[in-house]
Amino acid sequence: MRAAERVYRLLLRAYPAGFRAEYGREMVLVFRDRRRDESARGIRFWSEMIWDVARSAPALRLDAFRIRWEEDIQTGEEKMRTMAILAVLIGVTEAANALAEGWAGGIANGGFWLAGIILTVVAGTLLVVAGVAMLRRAPGAVPSARVAAITCLTVVVLIRLVDGWMSIFGTLLGIVFPIALLFFLWWTRRRGPSAPTMA
Amino acid sequence: MARQKKIARAPESYLPLPPATFQILLTLVDGERHGYAIMREVAERTDGAVRLGPGTLYGALKRLLEAGLVEEGGERPDPDMDDERRRYYRLAKPGLSVARAEARRLEGMVRAARQKKLIGVEPA
Repeated sequence: MRAAERVYRLLLRAYPAGFRAEYGREMVLVFRDRRRDESARGIRFWSEMIWDVARSAPALRLDAFRIRWEEDIQTGEEKMRTMAILAVLIGVTEAANALAEGWAGGIANGGFWLAGIILTVVAGTLLVVAGVAMLRRAPGAVPSARVAAITCLTVVVLIRLVDGWMSIFGTLLGIVFPIALLFFLWWTRRRGPSAPTMA
Repeated sequence: MARQKKIARAPESYLPLPPATFQILLTLVDGERHGYAIMREVAERTDGAVRLGPGTLYGALKRLLEAGLVEEGGERPDPDMDDERRRYYRLAKPGLSVARAEARRLEGMVRAARQKKLIGVEPA
């Protein structure tokens, strides 16, 4: 019995620490009761126990992660600052990358090529401006970040669809970050007044 | 103690309930129970078709407590078992409303199945 309990306690480590602290003792008691009452103690019993852990632990881990994320967002000045710094860095990188790729590909490749480079530089600059505004907690920082993210996303997608000169690195940077920024801004807004409002 | 918050949602907004959750609420309609008593009663009522493992049971109870559908009723030993202290759970008023709403929903589904002659008729 003791050895079986020790094994079950090991299985319980699959659950989040908070859940274990709250319900671990009760779960061990239930485990002990089932072992005592049920005739099936061999493979069937253990496969049921393992299946139970495999089925319930990931969902509880996800719950714990979601709660922690929401709490982080509620006191998320630090996260807002991180996003602002990322916006500045990625804006600079995106603009510099567009210039470098444009230079390497030959500026005189055509009107659309040149327009694409200029638009990417503008989108990168908008990200930098929005990032600085977020860092300075300027009024209108959040709407400007939203505009910058949408502009960057639109420009990069258009370039990839129409001409496709942009590298994978530039494309990923120009698509993934604006989506992450928009999601972050939507999330902080959804959290209501307790969320860090920069606007 | 698990976090408990007041319910402000319509009972229907919780539907459909996962089968395990409905079984737990159904068990608590008769009064407060500890974890193993819930597990045993569910298995008996469903002829072993629904067998709640400890993780499924306490995961569901945690969510029910957080939603304010179930309340903790204190800790004490079960006189029929060992002398270990066990945590008891009872149905909160909103939990009863949610259980009723789910029962009505299931009743409607059974009625529809009967009208389609999926059940309630002798096979030819």
